[in-house]
Amino acid sequence: MIQLFQPNSGNETNIKLPFSFIGFSMLALILSQLLILLNGNLLVSGVFRLPAIWSAAHLFVLGWALMVAMGAMYQLVPVAFLTPIWNERFGFWQLAVTTAGIVSFAAALYLRPQDALVPGILTLLGILMFIFQMFMTLKSQAKPNILTLFVGTALFSLLATITLGITLVLSMKIGFASEYYQAVFKTHILLGTVGWFSFLIFGFSYKMVPMFSLSHGYSMKPAPYVFGVYVVGIISLISSFLTGIHLFEVLGTLMLFAGFMIFTWHVKLIIDKRVKKKLDRPFMFALFAIGCGALIHFASFAGSAANLLSKMAGPIILLYLVAWIAFSIIGYLYKIVPFLWWTHKYSKEIGKKKVPALKDMMDEQLALPLFIMFTAGTILLLLSFIVKLMPVFYIGQGLIVLGAVLFSYIIAKVLTI
Amino acid sequence: MTELKEKIRENLKNVIDPELNINVVDLGLIYEIDVPEPRTARILMTLTTPGCPLHDSIASGIKYCVQGMEEIDHADVQLTWEPAWTPDRMTEDGKRLLQGF
Repeated sequence: MIQLFQPNSGNETNIKLPFSFIGFSMLALILSQLLILLNGNLLVSGVFRLPAIWSAAHLFVLGWALMVAMGAMYQLVPVAFLTPIWNERFGFWQLAVTTAGIVSFAAALYLRPQDALVPGILTLLGILMFIFQMFMTLKSQAKPNILTLFVGTALFSLLATITLGITLVLSMKIGFASEYYQAVFKTHILLGTVGWFSFLIFGFSYKMVPMFSLSHGYSMKPAPYVFGVYVVGIISLISSFLTGIHLFEVLGTLMLFAGFMIFTWHVKLIIDKRVKKKLDRPFMFALFAIGCGALIHFASFAGSAANLLSKMAGPIILLYLVAWIAFSIIGYLYKIVPFLWWTHKYSKEIGKKKVPALKDMMDEQLALPLFIMFTAGTILLLLSFIVKLMPVFYIGQGLIVLGAVLFSYIIAKVLTI
Repeated sequence: MTELKEKIRENLKNVIDPELNINVVDLGLIYEIDVPEPRTARILMTLTTPGCPLHDSIASGIKYCVQGMEEIDHADVQLTWEPAWTPDRMTEDGKRLLQGF
């Protein structure tokens, strides 16, 4: 029997919500990269754990990447899971609390890290509101699937990350659990990067890769293996942080590398089944990010096997954030933003008059210079850590700052179409 | 009646999938066009992928397009995933447009 659906499900979110998140995030991106540029002398000498760098890192990770992810999820979750957002008004309150939290938290980290507790709690509250919103939304999904597992695990990791972050601030302020400070700190970073962002990107890639390449007839069988192997890697690494046993660290990095390689191979299988032979540049940049991610995972495994991971940790985390997470987000954002604006402006016009294609909404001519700027900037940044030369750092980071400004301009320009 | 159905099909070529920039007829998204009673059309359609973010927009576009015809007052658009869309459903024009895009 043929099953029919009424298409007008009302799953589209009020555009102001995702756009407000994305708008704030672009400001945070530029500011975070400027902060890094201004503190280059410390970074190049290998000093990462300083108030200015904490502030920049949190502005980048929370202010940009997390806010973008939240904004995108407000739009993607309803359409990908065919479930409307639980409470849109609550979403605007969540936006206000999270923005206030992140701004005050980044400022406190820069000026008086010991006073970061209250802003940290405000940020925590904003993120908890988001997790609650997503939990209530996903709960009403008729039939959970593998994407639900990836996105659900990402949200759980986010919750664990911020809980551990608050523990760190408490530990700094009143000495709470100070004997576990290092283990908590490392787990906080691991779950915030690998647990939250990677699972989220894996999950949404499984939706977006076939959609943007028009792939059909591929299997989803490798996806549970990606999930399982990656989870084992995370657990093993956390075990190494708690026990100090090096074997757990090697096993953990190996499993993360293996899980990521299965994901890379799976994406290749999906792409091989594509009908659309010529892929868009932004989408290819998102695929390039997967290649970068595979190399970074291999580097961390090789570093661990050679017992050098602690020395390589700073550059590896930076590369993980930039070349895997940020490149993925930038590539996908190039597709998501035009879609948001198109839906807002043209979804009531389609069928009545000629409407533009999504491809016409974002300047693809600027895509290549933008992606070259980000990639060259990252390579030079990495090189500056090795050769310890400030001019190399300034050129590399300068390119990234310019890229961030150009990217914000490209996004703002969409709103004029 | 067949003539009217054909006219509806031709009109639907004005509705594009904005991601692919190909109209819904050449993409093979229109499964059935029916005129169960005078001035009423029923369109059975699918999308290239379940959970396509543009599904509301495309389905609404089809409704607006058909209801904009002088012969039709009401269009009922129904979405189905069975049978699922495959690239084989595209017309030769659709395939050509996809390769050129």
